Amino acid sequence: MQPVQTRNGTSRIARNGPDPIIVDGLSKTYRVTDREGGFGAAVRSFFKRKYRDVKAVQNVSFRIGSGEIVGFLGPNGAGKTTTLKMLSGLLYPTGGSANVLSHTPWERRADYLRSITLVMGQRNRLSWDIPAADSFLLNQAIYRIGDADYKRTFDELNELLELAAIIRKPVRNLSLGERMKCELAAALLHRPQVLFLDEPTIGLDIGAQVRIRSFLKEYNRRSGATILLTSHYMADVTALCERIIIIHHGQLKYDGKLADLSRRIAPYKLIAVRLGDCIDCDLSRYGTVVEVAAEYGADGANGDGGKQLVQVKADEVAAVTARILADLPVSDLTIEDPPIEDVIERAFHE
Amino acid sequence: MLAIYKHLWQVNWAEQWQYRANLIMYLFYWLVSPIVYLAVWTTVATAQGSVNGLTAQDFVAYYMVLLIVNIATSEITIHILGYRIMDGTLSNLLVLPVHPVLTQVLVNNLAFKALQLIALAPIWAVLYVLFQPVLTITLVNVLLAIPALALGFLFSFFIGATITFIAFWTTRVWAIAEFYFAVFQLFAGQFVPLSLLPPVLHNIAEALPFRLVLYFPVQLILGKLTVQESMLNLGLLAVWCVAGYALFSVVWRGGVKKFSAVGA
Repeated sequence: MQPVQTRNGTSRIARNGPDPIIVDGLSKTYRVTDREGGFGAAVRSFFKRKYRDVKAVQNVSFRIGSGEIVGFLGPNGAGKTTTLKMLSGLLYPTGGSANVLSHTPWERRADYLRSITLVMGQRNRLSWDIPAADSFLLNQAIYRIGDADYKRTFDELNELLELAAIIRKPVRNLSLGERMKCELAAALLHRPQVLFLDEPTIGLDIGAQVRIRSFLKEYNRRSGATILLTSHYMADVTALCERIIIIHHGQLKYDGKLADLSRRIAPYKLIAVRLGDCIDCDLSRYGTVVEVAAEYGADGANGDGGKQLVQVKADEVAAVTARILADLPVSDLTIEDPPIEDVIERAFHE
Repeated sequence: MLAIYKHLWQVNWAEQWQYRANLIMYLFYWLVSPIVYLAVWTTVATAQGSVNGLTAQDFVAYYMVLLIVNIATSEITIHILGYRIMDGTLSNLLVLPVHPVLTQVLVNNLAFKALQLIALAPIWAVLYVLFQPVLTITLVNVLLAIPALALGFLFSFFIGATITFIAFWTTRVWAIAEFYFAVFQLFAGQFVPLSLLPPVLHNIAEALPFRLVLYFPVQLILGKLTVQESMLNLGLLAVWCVAGYALFSVVWRGGVKKFSAVGA
């Protein structure tokens, strides 16, 4: 792998072989009606409508190599879903180009649609009134999957997602987590080479999130499929994505390794210290004492056994740790990376 | 492609059974107006002896056959697709490598129709006993009625779908669909047999294709047409189907482009 410069100067991680996703200067501007609230404004807008342009995606460029899992991050309204929809052929761009598996996505050719999949969290492809097994068979026909291939893929998905117990029940009777498993299976039966996943774990409990994540990782390992994934759950990103692309106000803000972003945006570590019997111990001389996180279960006051977090520069961690251990009655000490949520949040606004 | 339709049929057939109450309500919707017209016109014809040469028996036979033709050629595309276009859930169908309207929506229409025809059978039998229509139905007419009903449905489907596609541009599609349906009913022979329309309206009805969907199959089944007349109307209906399909295709392509422009 080697770093590569994209049009707008951000780095990326390239792999050998042709890149299945090439996006160059992609833009999408929506024209929306604009009016104030109230009866008068409603009447006025009936006769004379005001419009304004919303630049959802502006001049975004990136390439994604074969088999990569890339996290596509940004706050709500950043342009993530719009980009995914353009790449899956649902939206026409207003500028730029995209090439996915040697196709222009919005031409929506059947052989292109047969080689990709789009999973939008909570938006179901499955019919609610019948068991998922019936929808799977329908997908087999729609995607022209041979019986042998279907059986092989289904067995594999069943092994990874434990589907057998749930696919005979009508979809409306499934829990959200069970339904999401079936949605993923339905979306993958045709063995797509490129997966566009928009919030695939949204609304799921922690256990279900973990299962979906490990499934995606294993699926990627086995099939070599390329995955572009949006998620607001950083656990998804850290578990799956070595590389992330950050987009904000429709513009590409960062494209590179997650670890590099952490180093660049937040070049510090957090030393979590639990002190023994100590009334006047002051940690502020070692670094910035940041608020004690709720999960530590203490208010951070000295002498009560609670944990405090001290933020120090990354290159001073060893020295500061040694000083704390020498100076204070430490009962427990750990060194942590800054929370990825903070890093990403800073990156959005940088 | 046949495998797709087979599985779509299984899925849609199973789904329709989940919505039995919905089915009954729609059935009443299709039944009420012909039965009311039947009652009104037979009363008038009985009082006057005949209306423009049509006796009470003629009206009974006309509306009894119309009940079947009506359901056989009806379509509900706007109810299947209208909201999906407006709320964006059409996206789920657009990512599939098949034409969603010519597969999913078409088969949904057919499954719904099949179930409605089954539900109509006992009701029709009761009406038969009540009104005692005199029907002289021949094998030739039945054989000719099958393609007439199939083509009639196909034409209705293409036009109904095209009107539904207006939802890509405006949320007022329901009002437009209602207006279309009223025009259709008038010129197809739903309100009155077309021979009773004033000359101006009758001429318009002759020029429009809607009479081929209801009036023509009814007259065909009742044995009012010669084989030549039936074949001519069948050919005309086939041409209208081709024109309907062309319109359907053009508007669909434009609609999807619009859908894709404003945000699916």
